[in-house]
Amino acid sequence: MNPRKLLRIAKWEVTKNAGGVDKRTVAIMAVSVVAMVLVAGLAASSGASGLDSGLYRIGVDESSSYYAPASDDAAFVVQEPDPAAVERGDQELLFVGTQLASSPEDPKERAALGEFRTSVDRYNSRQMARDDNRTAAAPVSVTLVYLEQSGVSETIASDSGSGDGGDGDGDGSSAGGSGGGSGGDGGSAGGSTDSDAGGLAGLGAGLTGGSTTGSPSDIQPPFPFESLVLAFLFIVPMNFVIQAYGSTMLSERLNRRGELLLVSPVSRFDIVAGKTLPYFLGVMGVVTAITLGLRFSGLTAGGGPIAVLAMLPIALLFLSATFCGAMFARSFKELTFVTVTVTVSLTSYAFVPAIFTDVTPIALISPLTVVVRDLQAQAVTLGDFAFATTPPTLTAVVLFGLGAGLYREEDMFTQRAIPLKVLDALSGRIKSKWSALKLSVILLPFVFVAELAAVALLFALGDISIPLVLVAVVVIEEVAKSLHLYAGFTSGRYDRSLRTGVVVGALSGVGFFLAEKVTVLAQLVNPGLREIPTSQAGLELVPAGVPLPLVLLVLLLLPLLLHVVTATVSSLGARRSRRSYLLALGAAMVIHFAYNYTVVIALGQ
Amino acid sequence: MASDRSLDPRLVIARRDLASLGREKTIVLAILIQLFVAAFSSFLVVGLTSLYDPGSVESGGIEMAVTGDAQQELFEAVAETDGVQPVAFDATDDAQQAFNVGRVDAVLTGTYASPDSDGQVIEVTAIAPDSSIRTTLIVVQLREVLKTLERNERFERAESLDAPPLELPPEANASPYFSFTYTVLIPLLLFLPPFISGSVAVDTITEEIERGTLELLRVAPVSLVDVVDGKSLAMIALAPAQAALWIGLLSVNGIAVSNPLALLVFVAATAAIVVVFGVVLGLQLGRRRPAQLLYSVLTLVVFGAAILLPEHPSTTAAKLAVDSPSLVTYGHVAGYVVAAVVLFVVARRYVARVEPESL
Repeated sequence: MNPRKLLRIAKWEVTKNAGGVDKRTVAIMAVSVVAMVLVAGLAASSGASGLDSGLYRIGVDESSSYYAPASDDAAFVVQEPDPAAVERGDQELLFVGTQLASSPEDPKERAALGEFRTSVDRYNSRQMARDDNRTAAAPVSVTLVYLEQSGVSETIASDSGSGDGGDGDGDGSSAGGSGGGSGGDGGSAGGSTDSDAGGLAGLGAGLTGGSTTGSPSDIQPPFPFESLVLAFLFIVPMNFVIQAYGSTMLSERLNRRGELLLVSPVSRFDIVAGKTLPYFLGVMGVVTAITLGLRFSGLTAGGGPIAVLAMLPIALLFLSATFCGAMFARSFKELTFVTVTVTVSLTSYAFVPAIFTDVTPIALISPLTVVVRDLQAQAVTLGDFAFATTPPTLTAVVLFGLGAGLYREEDMFTQRAIPLKVLDALSGRIKSKWSALKLSVILLPFVFVAELAAVALLFALGDISIPLVLVAVVVIEEVAKSLHLYAGFTSGRYDRSLRTGVVVGALSGVGFFLAEKVTVLAQLVNPGLREIPTSQAGLELVPAGVPLPLVLLVLLLLPLLLHVVTATVSSLGARRSRRSYLLALGAAMVIHFAYNYTVVIALGQ
Repeated sequence: MASDRSLDPRLVIARRDLASLGREKTIVLAILIQLFVAAFSSFLVVGLTSLYDPGSVESGGIEMAVTGDAQQELFEAVAETDGVQPVAFDATDDAQQAFNVGRVDAVLTGTYASPDSDGQVIEVTAIAPDSSIRTTLIVVQLREVLKTLERNERFERAESLDAPPLELPPEANASPYFSFTYTVLIPLLLFLPPFISGSVAVDTITEEIERGTLELLRVAPVSLVDVVDGKSLAMIALAPAQAALWIGLLSVNGIAVSNPLALLVFVAATAAIVVVFGVVLGLQLGRRRPAQLLYSVLTLVVFGAAILLPEHPSTTAAKLAVDSPSLVTYGHVAGYVVAAVVLFVVARRYVARVEPESL
């Protein structure tokens, strides 16, 4: 790495970009971003009619007291009551007076009735808020308090640092959370709500725990819709940046343009890092600007260096995945699809766990959770931060490494199918049989991130989530252990003898085992995470109350044996052909699943 | 390729572009992505609803301790609400204790208070468990209970009110996903294919320019208009085909999508608009990076600005799919078709004036 050369390449990337046609592009971009903000503001201020506007048709006479709620709700089109129209399916609900005169049967009619019930309820709240007699209109005042239940085992206790995050921000929130969130029934927040609450100002404050007072309809479940919207704000700019980044990387490969840089006296790491740097700085600049904007416009209670730092691994992950995609893709069309895949999968990886920010520590799988917490001005411990950010950072580094392996003449300017390129990227790292061990270690961050994402996706499903997580874990781990072996055999880096098959298989298993133990150590260091039942099931199984020798046996010998055996099985298959590799991989998965399942069932009881 | 000669050159080019998508198997990837997006958004809704939905709790309902002076009213309100059972406690401490060891899921303590001269309010202190997966569900149920209490109290005090609150219509056993399916999922599935088509249109134009292969096409006996026509037609045709696939799949899954023909016309018109936009951007800028960037930003802006129309495109799609179309809805579809045709004609004129040598 030569910083001077790196910076020069970065400068070229920027100046080439700003010259000529692109000035116009930048101008149009600026105008469109302003237009976007205007549109968003317009949509918010005009009280946009909502997605479901005009979805249902209701027949109600003007004399009926249901006429007002129906005509207030945009989801309903009010029509003259007409039984014939109901027959034809042109009217979902029919009211005579306040009596339901149609019998809702199909899903649409029942949905319409459910919706109408809600809108009458909202109408009542609005009417009551206008009434002069406060005690009759708001006869119930509620104070909601969140308390830990000490004697409940099913409660997922979170570590003291972050769990009861209500402590710092409970005060002053007083029904603030409901003002912005209850969308539609703006008037209902009357009663005992403070005058300064409501609106967006209470966003950060009222989100979690603490105690809140207000009328019953002010109660908001601990569910950070607002912070999720804000988190989305951080993810969206990434997608535009990787569009540009992917294009610039792929266009190096068109017409051998990149050859000039390749033959110049700089290392390919300088080239890759130099071309990436401007985009990375751009993303981080945008992230910083958003954080500052949110903080100083008063939209969020917190937000500072921690939020920006937590976005760093996400930005790296987006860029590294796009870099790999640009190295793999054969054409611009293919790159578009690769970019969309990267966007969709990384967004869900970052986003889904963050939904559960206030519910369970599992949310810490995603760095975005740290961002949301920081925006809410909650404390984030160093352990939490490290747990959330280390795996994606390592994954990004590995992705850059694999992509850089393809940044050479043989691969850049040839047209090969994506799967073959993946194998190329892996086999490029193989030097000797010991590489099997090294590659298993290198791929572990992937395994870790993928397993955590699987846990986050599946844990909400309830009882069936444990076996599903086990299946996902088995598939991910077995593929990670054996794919590079297959790459080595097909590229001829390993000879296809039985002895080599056994040796590299065993080495791959050992490597995976060693790396996995390091992550277990990391888990033991962070006490909060030990209490996540599913993530334990996913990574390693250490049931409490088992005597020490047995723990050592379970913790060390058995998994080592397992990984060596399964990796060897797939390695032996990988020697022959693709078909026998897939068969052997399936067999290895079955063995692994049987083992995991036994351990969970036998020792987990 | 002898048979190709007799064909319209535009069709040959369209076929070539589609074949390259097939060869790279990107179309498979595209459908997988859409499937993933659909699964992901459905997962979000189903997963989130299960956090709220009392029916999803296998442990058989939630028990709430009721205590305090207003115990009677609270007890009735809890009993009236589905999925929760009241447990009466005379002493608040006992209720707290029961909550602490997990015998009840929430504690409601009600006391009377008179904030001003003309009456009393019930002050309720509700205790819910902190940091539990069930917290969301319990709080949702608490809100239901307290709203029932509020409603009961309002009816009792109806004489003091300017107008009594309205009686709620009967409860409907409605699917919680119905509205989501038609207002979010279906529009999402219908608009993704046109959006991707437009993006690929940008790619296919800029790639020919950047690789210099457009020159080769120019040697062939086709005009630039033919080339652009062929490429646009391929991409426009792709979108309704995918939309038809989604409509079919949804129907197999028991989600009826009405007015499929109108929807497909709508999707085709949308696809034509964005593809024409993408092609013009590609020709104008000539390079993928700025063209693709502007395409995605501007498409989003236009799609967002469509809220200024009497009916947003996604509402149009939702109303057609759920079979509640009004004249306004059909008017919008007709408007999109006219806009697509006009834009296509204008774009062809623009392409005819572009000097291929300047690209």
